[in-house]
Parts: sequence; structure tokens; C-alpha cells
Amino acid sequence: MASPIKSLDPKRFLPMLGDRQARFNAAPEKLPAGSDRARVLAKALHPKRQYLKITAVTERSSDCRSYTLEPDPDRGTSALAYFSAGKYVSVFETVGGMPVNRAYSISSAPAASLAGKYELTVRRVDDGLMSRHIFDTWEVGRRVEVSAPAGTFEYQPLRDAPFVVGLAGGSGITPFLSMANAIADGDEDFTLCLLYGSRDKENILFKDELDALAARTDKIRVVHVLSDEPAETLPAGMRKGFLTAELIKEFAPQDAPYSVFVCGSQQMYRFVDPEIEKLGLPKKYVRHELFGEFHDPKSLYDYPKDVPETVKITVTVMDVTKTVEGKSTDSVMQILEKNGIGVPARCRSGECGFCHSRLLSGKVYVPAHLEYRRLADEQFGCIHPCCSFPLTDLEINVPPVK
Amino acid sequence: MKTYDVIVIGAGNGGLAAAANCVNAGLSTLLLERHNLPGGSASSFVRGRFEFEPSLHELAGIGTPEEPGMVEKMFDRMGAKVDWRKDSSTFRLVVPAKEGDKDAFVNENGVNVTVDARMPVGFEAFSQKLDELVPGSYESAMKAFGLSTRMYKAFDALGDGDSLAGVVKALKYMPDFMRMTSHTLNEGLTALGMPKKAQDIFSTYWCYMGSPGSRFDFMYYMAMLHGYIKNGTGIPHLRSHEMSLAIDKVIRDGGGEIWYNSEVTKIIMKDGKPAGVVVNGEKEVGGRRFICNVAPNFVWNDLFDKADIPPAQLRMTNARKIAATLTTVYLGMNKTKEELGIKDYSVFIAPTADSDEQFALCKDFFSGYCIINCLNEIIPDCTPPGTCQLFLTAMTFGDVMQGIEPKDYKKFKTKVAKDMIETCEKALNMSIQPYIEEIEIALPPTFSRYLNTPLGTPYGYILDKWDSMIPRTLQFKQDQPFDNFIFCGATQERGDGYGCAYHSGEKAAKLTIEAFKEEN
Repeated sequence: MASPIKSLDPKRFLPMLGDRQARFNAAPEKLPAGSDRARVLAKALHPKRQYLKITAVTERSSDCRSYTLEPDPDRGTSALAYFSAGKYVSVFETVGGMPVNRAYSISSAPAASLAGKYELTVRRVDDGLMSRHIFDTWEVGRRVEVSAPAGTFEYQPLRDAPFVVGLAGGSGITPFLSMANAIADGDEDFTLCLLYGSRDKENILFKDELDALAARTDKIRVVHVLSDEPAETLPAGMRKGFLTAELIKEFAPQDAPYSVFVCGSQQMYRFVDPEIEKLGLPKKYVRHELFGEFHDPKSLYDYPKDVPETVKITVTVMDVTKTVEGKSTDSVMQILEKNGIGVPARCRSGECGFCHSRLLSGKVYVPAHLEYRRLADEQFGCIHPCCSFPLTDLEINVPPVK
Repeated sequence: MKTYDVIVIGAGNGGLAAAANCVNAGLSTLLLERHNLPGGSASSFVRGRFEFEPSLHELAGIGTPEEPGMVEKMFDRMGAKVDWRKDSSTFRLVVPAKEGDKDAFVNENGVNVTVDARMPVGFEAFSQKLDELVPGSYESAMKAFGLSTRMYKAFDALGDGDSLAGVVKALKYMPDFMRMTSHTLNEGLTALGMPKKAQDIFSTYWCYMGSPGSRFDFMYYMAMLHGYIKNGTGIPHLRSHEMSLAIDKVIRDGGGEIWYNSEVTKIIMKDGKPAGVVVNGEKEVGGRRFICNVAPNFVWNDLFDKADIPPAQLRMTNARKIAATLTTVYLGMNKTKEELGIKDYSVFIAPTADSDEQFALCKDFFSGYCIINCLNEIIPDCTPPGTCQLFLTAMTFGDVMQGIEPKDYKKFKTKVAKDMIETCEKALNMSIQPYIEEIEIALPPTFSRYLNTPLGTPYGYILDKWDSMIPRTLQFKQDQPFDNFIFCGATQERGDGYGCAYHSGEKAAKLTIEAFKEEN
């Protein structure tokens, strides 16, 4: 049968290989471009590590301090990664030989990072390993190592309503402070009504800063809600009580959609989440900051009975295998850290997936509210050690901290 | 220093397939990956109650039980088990009309268009539909499919390259092998007498390989189209992360090692050849042979001293043009696809139907040319009840991020995403924006971060007329830098696409295994 494409000359094939080789031969013998704008931006926005120095410490209250961090060019960081208001960085420290990290929201403005400044604000918690360590050891001149900015707690104009009710509890004000700064600087464009819960007027963080921001633009409003302040000493304009559905309704627009953003402690979430539920908002209008590290699996109704108190974990990192022991009420990550084995981690709340590891044998319990694994992960035995609690002895494979 | 038979650098699709095949052949194998997950493009991510597919549109290589496709066969050969879901649609091309377009008509969505082509699976059905849309195109379409029937046999006959003997064998299966290989898609379809408008519809998939009708060779385009049209396509049930974990499992179960968060930062040379690698700047590991799933441009810059790089490799890398870069918008919707009015898995929306004009538009953000996919069409339960997920893709060429500063990046990407969403809303007369519950936007820097490729391309080098798949295959061996170091991935002979990358890994493993056999 005749070819339907016989008008195409097959002889054109013959010089093809020679042509290709000739093109190669004619090209320059220099190194090809090792970078491009996409790579420059990727590295600027997501550096592997940021090496910083503390340049100022500010007392915010009796148990809360802000730390100003600037690049440490001696260790290779010459500029800070720019970020979208609401993001956190993970702080890496060694406490008594134990590698630990915690996520702290950046409380300063995105614009300040261009001038080489991040501010982290830390509240000292009595049983908080990292916050106590920071209070004890961080001072001006101290060197600090943090991750790139991370997280998903940020304003997204294509998703969120143009009016946001921010619910902040205590030091949960930090991402909102950054957002408010970004609004005042013109880097974000939305209206933020902050309902800020504190114990009493002495414990309000950033009172003056928030007042100044609200004075700069009518897009920011701050309402202080004090739980323990006696009525007779309650300052004018402040509210007594808690962050309730009623209060949100009072300040939200009556006839336009609004988003609710929440950041605070686990204790605050236990109160506020059911209040938000009462509003009947579509899920898209409710954004939650990280839950935070979870410590009490026994408190959950579906935690199995008869779990041994201690377990053995055989862990392989690259080509090194060790067996360690720990309490079954600690997460796999905590057990490893307490045994001096670092685990790559960012959010420590199940969400970011950075600690993604292999469970080779044994069983773990994952609290339902921290289950953010990918669907195929479960089928193929992958876990997030930060929110997996051992039920038996385990054999696992964990990537190195790099 | 511990020494492995094979060190595979990078656990993208190519690296995974390479490592699995080496492990299965009994070679001690170490797979090193800088990221904390396998797969490169083949992955997934969770936002709220949605798990998104980051890159896979469809696999042409998933066939029928009687006639399994190329990807299925490669997974079977590796022993990797995946729950494949079949798609029996192909594509829909919608070209919204411009003012004054004479051939404009109102389509089923109530939109004024010049082309609305929803193409079915099967050569006969496809050709008939094309004829309905452009009378007089049936015969040329059937002839084109006729030319492609024995193409895969011809590809196999080419063997491992290096020899024109393969071409002689290929000619036995395909007398038109040389004609098709040396002419472009446009030239081929014109020779078949296909009307221009039908050629445009026929060429819709050019963007999957990133080379337009005047540069894409007729042979390879037909091979690809054949794969899509003959038996339809497929996709894994649990996003492409399932495919990557399935191969990861094969490697581990077979005794191979995978180290995640383990970036190769240097190649150790001995006697002019690679002999080991440095991991994360500190740990040295030895290897006898290497398979490298990293783009040569960055391998030469980041891992070698210039004096150790074969000069021919530098010339070759400089001669080639970086292929397409992508922008993708992932949307978790709080409405079902029915509520949104979506009826198709893939809709290609283009300001013009001509592939070269589409290619020319892609020099800029955002050109109005984009693809919208709805995964729920194939996997109804891929999102919770009452929701669905959409996935918008646009293409660019060149260093399109020039002039963008970190502080402008969020605003810039939000604007690009908004333009893409509005283009889809207009072209399909539907409402998307009020129902977005979750959104992620990936621009070339996002791909650069996760894939570590020049410009952030997932596509390797442009499959140009002079650097098309057949010459790449025939010159494969001489293209490799050292006799114990083989590249795999999208930069290699078949270019981008999951199937092509897996094939590149399987081939690199095969050559590696053969080399060990020859040594013994």
C-alpha cells in the first residue's frame, strides 16, 4: 500500500543525527547558567536555614518577651527571607543535649524583614521546655538558628472575605500584629477587627502598638476582651468576658460575608471553636493557626486501653540504627528527641508533613484532630512522628535533620 | 566509606524507577533525595479537608486489562501496585470568540466561541467527531492514526541507541518511520490533507510535551496522541503520591535504601570518573555506578568542579533550550462539580486554536491559554461530599520571573491566579471565586523549589525539530557523561511526562545492570 505521506521526503532523516551533533559542537564550552530568577526567588523565600543574631530584647509583660533578630553574615545569612504576615519560623535549639525546635509566629511586619529585622515574641510557660530555655539563654548578641517562614495562616484575597474578625488569645496576638502592620503598610488589603482576649489589663501585649496601628488606618480595629479584670477597673472601651459567638456577631458585618481567623492556646481553642461553630459559617471563612504540640493522648476518648507505659523504638537515620526507650504518652518525635535524636520538624502539630517518616513495624495512635497525613501515607505505613503516639514497640525510619 | 553498587541521585519519577529496577536486579542500591518525599512532581499536598494532585493530568499509559498500557507494564515489571482509575474522555478544546469572528457560535454553556471540541476515545469515534466539527477531516485523521499503530514496536526496535541498525529494524515495522521522524506535526498533517482547523484540534495536546506544531516531530506527537485516544487514560486513586510510595515500597522491600532529606552536594571523582557522593555537605558515600535524576545544568554547576566535566557535556547543555515552565492554581471548592456546572475532566481554553500561536502567547504571564481539570470527574470521592477540587494550569517559556522581587511575589501570584480563574469563569460561563475554600498557587519559583530544575521547568529541554526524541534515542549513549554515570528524568530522550520519566529510569537501570554483567 502506498504511503499516505509519500510527499514527505524520507531522506530528510539522514542528516538529522549530524545536525544535532553540529549544534552541540557549535555551542560554547562554558558552565551553563547555574541560576535564574525562579531559583533566586525560591532560595530567597525558602532558605534551608536562617542564621541570626539577637540585637534587642523587649519585656512585654512579666512573662513575655520580644526578641529582635537580625541576619548573621558570619554564618552565611546576609538577608532575611521575606514573608507573608501570619507565618511562623521554627527555632532550633539544643536543650541539655536534646535537639528541639518550636514554631513561633513572626510578630513584626513583613516590611521590617526587608530592613533586616524579625521579631519573635515568646511567652514563658512553666512546663514549656523551649520557652524556659529561651528566657534563660537568649540575650543580645546570642546566635539563633531558624527555618524559612512557613505555615498557611495568612490572608488570601481569593479565598477570604474582605472583612476579617481576628480572635486572639494572649500571645496568640503575634501573627495578627504582623497582619495589622502589613495592612497599615499597604502590603495587605483587608479590614481586620481584632477581638483580643487577655486575663487582665496588665497582661495585654502590644497595647500601645495596637492602638497606634488602629490610629493609622480605619481598616484596623482592636477590641480588648478581659476575662479576669474586675468591672470597676475595666478601662473604657474594653469588654469583660470571653470571645463568644455573640461578641463576634456584634462586631462582624451584618449583611456581608466575613472571615474568622483564630490564634491562641489549646485551652482557648477548646472554648472558642464551639463558639465559632454557633455562627454557622462556611468552612472557607474559618482559618485556624496551628494547634500546637499535643501532650495528652490519654485524654482522648478513642485512645486504646492497655497501652504499655514504656516502649522501645528502633530507629534508623540514614545508615545508623539505634534502639531507644520512652514513655508511650510522649509522641514518637519527643521520645527520639529526649534520646538525643533530632527529627526534621516544623509545625509539630501534624499539619506540615515535614517530619514524614516510615513506620516499618508496630502500631501508633494518631489523634483524629491532628490527622493531616496524605491518603496514601496510611496505606504505605508513613507517619508524622510529631503527632503519632506509640502503642507498641516500633521500628521506624526517619530522615536526618539537614 | 561504605560503597554501593549503584547510587541514584534524586527520587523523581526517573530516579524511583531506576532504583527499583536496580534493586530488583540484586544490586546494592542507595537512592538519595533532597526533599522529604519521593516523586518530585508525583506527590500530593493537604490543605484543610482537601488533598491535591500537584501535577498529573492523566497517564496515557494506562490501558485495558486486555491491552495494558506502557506505564502499567512498567509498574508491573517493578512489582509496584497502584489502584488505577480509568478515564474514558480525552479533551475538550474551547476557543472563545473575539469580536468580529465570522465563524462564531453560541455553545452549550451560552458562550460565544469559534471552537468547542469535546473529543471522544477511540480512533473511529475521534475521527468522526473531528469530521462533524470540520467536514472533510475524517479520512486524514484515520490515516494519521493508521500511521501510529506500529509505532511502539518501532521505538522498541531502536534499542538502546548508538546504532543505525535500530533504524533499519524500525523501518520494518513502520515503512514511514523516516518520513515521520524528520517532519513536523504540521507538515505531517498537511501531507495527509487535513484541513487547518482540524489540524488545530488534532494538535491540542502539544502542550503536554511543550513543543508546538511547527517544532514537534510528527512521529512523537502521533505516538503520544495514540496513547491517549486508543484506550483512554488513567490516574492513581490516591493522587500521584500513591505511585511514588508504591515504588518506594518496592525499593525498601527489595533491600534498597532510600535516604530522604539527603541532598547530594558534591560528586567525588577518582581517576576521571565519579566514585562517590557527599551528602548534605558532610557524609561521604561510595558508588560504583551512578544514575542521576537531576538536570545537567545544575549538576555541572552544583556538584562538579569545572575541570572534571567533559567539555562535550558543557557544549551539549549550552546548546539546548529549557522547556516550558508552569503556573498551577489548586482550588478546593465548597460546591460539587454538578453545582459548578462542570462536565469535563480536561478543558483546554485558548484565545486561538493554532498551536504555534498558543506557544507564542506563552512568553508572558498570563496569556489567556490555560487548562482546567476537575479530578472528581475521574475520582468522585477524591474530596469530601459537597465539594470538589479544580486544578488550573498555564504555561510559560523563558525566565518569566524577571523583575519580580520577593516582596511583590504574593501579590503577583494572586493576580496571575485571579486572571486564570476569571478566564475559566468566562470561557465556561461559570462561577468559581465565591466557592473557593482552599487555594494554593504554584509559580515557577515553587517548581524550582520542589523540583530543583532550571527555570523551575518540569519538562527538561524543548523537544525541538533538531533535538527530538528519535535523535536523542539514537545518540543516547554518547550523550552520557561517563561510562558509569547515566542521566534520567525529563531532560532525557523522551522528554517530560510521568511515563517518559519512568521509562528513562528503567532504561538507565537496564544499561547499568548490563554494565555490571559485562564486568563479571
